[in-house]
Amino acid sequence: MQLLLLCRQGKKEKMERKAFLQMCNLPIKVVCRANAEYMSPSGKVPFIHVGNQVVSELGPIVQFVKAKGHSLSDGLDEVQKAEMKAYMELVNNMLLTAELYLQWCDEATVGEITHARYGSPYPWPLNHILAYQKQWEVKRKMKAIGWGNKTLDQVLEDVDQCCQALSQRLGTQPYFFNKQPTELDALVFGHLYTILTTQLTNDELSEKVKNYSNLLAFCRRIEQHYFEDRGKGSSSIKSS
Amino acid sequence: MAAPLELSCWGGGWGLPSVHSESLVVMAYAKFSGAPLKVNVIDKTWRGSRGDVPILTTEDNIVSQPAKILNFLRKQKYNADYELSAKQGADTLAYIALIEEKLLPAVLHTFWVESDNYFSVTKPWFASRIPFPLSLILPGRISKGALNRILLTRGEPPLYHLREVEAQIYRDAKECLNLLSNRLGTSQFFFGDTPSTLDAYVFGFLAPLYKVRFPKVQLQEHLKQLSNLCRFCDDILNSYFRLSLGDG
Repeated sequence: MQLLLLCRQGKKEKMERKAFLQMCNLPIKVVCRANAEYMSPSGKVPFIHVGNQVVSELGPIVQFVKAKGHSLSDGLDEVQKAEMKAYMELVNNMLLTAELYLQWCDEATVGEITHARYGSPYPWPLNHILAYQKQWEVKRKMKAIGWGNKTLDQVLEDVDQCCQALSQRLGTQPYFFNKQPTELDALVFGHLYTILTTQLTNDELSEKVKNYSNLLAFCRRIEQHYFEDRGKGSSSIKSS
Repeated sequence: MAAPLELSCWGGGWGLPSVHSESLVVMAYAKFSGAPLKVNVIDKTWRGSRGDVPILTTEDNIVSQPAKILNFLRKQKYNADYELSAKQGADTLAYIALIEEKLLPAVLHTFWVESDNYFSVTKPWFASRIPFPLSLILPGRISKGALNRILLTRGEPPLYHLREVEAQIYRDAKECLNLLSNRLGTSQFFFGDTPSTLDAYVFGFLAPLYKVRFPKVQLQEHLKQLSNLCRFCDDILNSYFRLSLGDG
């Protein structure tokens, strides 16, 4: 099946979805469209387009791929599956929220980078209006979950705690559940890769991740194995 | 000697020391870690800000939010996770995230949004512990806050209608309960023979769901089928809270 991965122009592709699909050995073609957000059934990019079906978000993509006969977590027992789901929530809870916070609630980053990047496919004044609207939406959500009053330092501390937990769980294994990659590996890789390669006004976020050498090695390994080997991958992880 | 620790929190009922999940998490942790807490149950005469409850007060500190309170207690050497390995500590964080993302929305819905439950049980209970005229306003505000949180975090497209969001959050909550039940298995606590932070969180979120009598009980019915989780809650209530249940 020909899988089209649609993403937004000028926006970082969500690596975890790409990683997951490549781990399943599915051939994908990446296409960039400015209106990708509106084509997506959930408003989230990137999403996949197969035949006449459209699926977005990692969870439903995993289900969809499973229904077509590919799954990464079949070999896990019930307790392991519970653990995997719990760690995926931890990543969503801490890393994803921290990324959103940094992109939209840190004034320096918003002013210098996010605003311009988000509005880039659109003409004036739409670029400003859409960027402000998105910022307002994100701030509202942060307030609802209790992150509204967090300072940047507190957010960075949460990221550190999350990375420490992931690092401890990974230990010296190649993947989180030893020999075979699972959805968790795709998710963690996606987020860490984004953090390590996205240019922000300060490097504190990527420095937090770099403190954990086994996480760096994990990212490098997946990048090499699944992306470089197939001749893909634009920016790569800086080794330091 | 540590300064006296006072915890202001919502009171109990239906056999529980508190019906409020976050207050219960802190109370359970204090019992597990041996922290000498003086518990002040909020009633109509209490003057503090009810929005921040549970609140821990010492001579020179005021701490709110369960995660911060637990951190504070640990720094004071009341550490229930002393015996855990690094991996178990990491697992604790992950399972707490799971509970907050997958179970909490449905618990909030059961208590504060589902109208039969809210109007016949939750609102009267809380209003009777809040002075007039705040008792007319505060429960409604908490209820709107709960609905807001649910919609903002889970009500994204393609789930446009509240009905669909409700269906999804209850599905997620049931799955979360199943996962917790699988993880607990036949053990007494989540990590061996002594209770830790994770046990406090699971107890705090499950016990009110298990014990409070509601008209609309779909999540409660599901929980009651998971006998090991019910046994887990009952064991903690009997072992750690039996003596103080005089004025529930």
